[in-house]
Amino acid sequence: MNKVTTLLLAGALVGGISFEAQAADTFKLAITGPFSGGSAPMGGSMRDGAKLAVAQINEQGGFEVGGHKMRVDIIERDDEAKNERGALIAQELASLEGLSAVIGSVNTGVVLAGDKFLQEKKVVKIITPAAGSASMTQWVNPPMQDLYMFRFAAADGIQSAMVVEEAGRLKFTKVAVLHDATNYGVSGRDDLTRRIQAGGKITIVATEKFNIGDKDMSAQLLRAKGAGAEAVLIWGIGPELAAVANDMAKIGFKVPLIGGWTLSMSNFIDNAGKNGDGAMMPQTFIEESVTKVSTAFIESYHKAYGVSRIPSPVSAAQGYDAVLLLASAVKQAGSTDPTKIRDALEDLREPVAGVIATWNKPYSKWDVAHPETHEAFRRENVIMGMVSNGHVVFANPDDRAHLAKH
Amino acid sequence: MQWMIIGQMAVSGAAMGFVYALVAYGFQMTYATSKSINFGQGELVMVSAFISLSASDMGLPYGLVVPVGLLSGAALGLFVERVAVRFALAQKGEGWILMTIIVGLFAVSAAENIWGKDERPFPTPISRESLDLGGGISVTPVELSVAFGVVLVMVLVEIFRRRTLLGKAVDAVSADRDAAELMGISATSAIAISYALSGAVAALAGILVAPITSVGPTMAATLILKAFSVAVVAGLQSGSGVAVVGISLGVLESLASFYLGSGWRETPGLVLLILALALRPNGIFGTATIRKV
Repeated sequence: MNKVTTLLLAGALVGGISFEAQAADTFKLAITGPFSGGSAPMGGSMRDGAKLAVAQINEQGGFEVGGHKMRVDIIERDDEAKNERGALIAQELASLEGLSAVIGSVNTGVVLAGDKFLQEKKVVKIITPAAGSASMTQWVNPPMQDLYMFRFAAADGIQSAMVVEEAGRLKFTKVAVLHDATNYGVSGRDDLTRRIQAGGKITIVATEKFNIGDKDMSAQLLRAKGAGAEAVLIWGIGPELAAVANDMAKIGFKVPLIGGWTLSMSNFIDNAGKNGDGAMMPQTFIEESVTKVSTAFIESYHKAYGVSRIPSPVSAAQGYDAVLLLASAVKQAGSTDPTKIRDALEDLREPVAGVIATWNKPYSKWDVAHPETHEAFRRENVIMGMVSNGHVVFANPDDRAHLAKH
Repeated sequence: MQWMIIGQMAVSGAAMGFVYALVAYGFQMTYATSKSINFGQGELVMVSAFISLSASDMGLPYGLVVPVGLLSGAALGLFVERVAVRFALAQKGEGWILMTIIVGLFAVSAAENIWGKDERPFPTPISRESLDLGGGISVTPVELSVAFGVVLVMVLVEIFRRRTLLGKAVDAVSADRDAAELMGISATSAIAISYALSGAVAALAGILVAPITSVGPTMAATLILKAFSVAVVAGLQSGSGVAVVGISLGVLESLASFYLGSGWRETPGLVLLILALALRPNGIFGTATIRKV
């Protein structure tokens, strides 16, 4: 071997090593979601909440991995709420060198299109705030034994149960079910129908569908009104929910609108204006200063992004807490290896003080027969919120008092 | 109950129908003078609505937002004529078809970059509280404002064409371009004026419909297809024809979405379009043109 080749080889080795060292310095975290379009309030707030947590952690030096600190490096991807874009992004992330974890996804269809690529490459993903049941149940049949997907959102199963419970509490016997034609809307309709049939006290007098982009909902609402519905139970996203609320006011169909957490999206609240007042939805976080932690979170979010209202407080808080959970799992794993992080998430030993709750062993070892092993939220983490004057407030003052005590 | 529903659906549908008619009316204006139409008319509706929204965000009162919107629409109309239509017409070619589509696509990208992809509500001082028309049928003042605005602007444009010198010049070019030019009327200017008017009409459609549908880069995508159907079905000559066909289409769509299901909403327009093309290619209210060779 001549001198030149030796030098080159040495150079390459040194270069390789220094590159390694650099890569090892940062923890690569991807954040994906719709940052534009109708789902943007959720995607944007989730991203901003997560980035707020990352910024605060980076200020302290970063994630703690095996005794030393690693700065967190964020890779952002906008899936535009489009399934095919979601699939492309997941493929890209799956082949990305040194990526340890992904946080994100708002749309159930995007989760279904993309997560299989991440799972195949064993990348840990914390799904938030996508709530559709199918995001987790897709791994039940056909059964996936070794799951890297975790959910950090109140699953539709919990939400639909709460919506039906609320309709029952308000003593309604006849309801209309409205939903959009996406995976989210259809699986919401199925959840609602199942709950209502299981309860037995309420009958569905009309089931109506609408498409993304529809502006005129009067046909569906007139049918619901004609059938004598006392409440509208709804599953959709902001712009169409607003169209429904506006048309309900227009045709004089004054019944409560109860639905999934999407009724708290800013593009519902803004586009519906006062027609949206009184709409009720399950929430994991309300933008009110109740506890010290929530006050600090709300204030730092407002300050960091120059807003006076979080577009989707639930998404922001979930994005924030998801990063804290991940940080704790990385610390416990003492490694950036996704498999070790996964194992740590399944058995978090230290409680994590988040803005939504103090998370005490949120996940356990994945069990195909019990998909809730990879679900962090239980019924008691979720409360009913209500739109009032452009803000989401506690529908039930007792919930506020209960939270304040903790 | 049944009549009430039909009545209610008809009222809601008619409001959208007026908007279809107005956009179709914009097609007619430029077709009359130049035998060309702006395939990017929907984007004019959208961009004008966004400009009006920005004007409103800057704190201008509604009374000023409307003229700002209309002027920007007219300016955009002139822009389209200058960059996309004039050269093509000078070459007696059909290049304006592609050119107007390109300008429209450009407008969508520009809007996405300037204003973002989100749907935004359009503030209006007109109430959204529904009024009871009796018999359980209700209508909102916003919907009434659409009908009123559309009729008003159509009447104004007709007066302009019949009573003013400039309008008569535009009319003369529409009737016979060569003869008009021999009389000393500049056909180019008349065409430019018709594009400006057409742009202003598109802007008005945007301002009127925005409180109902909200403003977004794709707000006019379906609107424009319906308006095009209306223009073809009614014929590209008759102003009152587009009003009749536009309103009927709006009502038919509403009824179809109620009786056949909301997924079938678009079908009446398409069926009408096919029937009209097959049976009366010049439109229901159109007159057969004799082409001398």
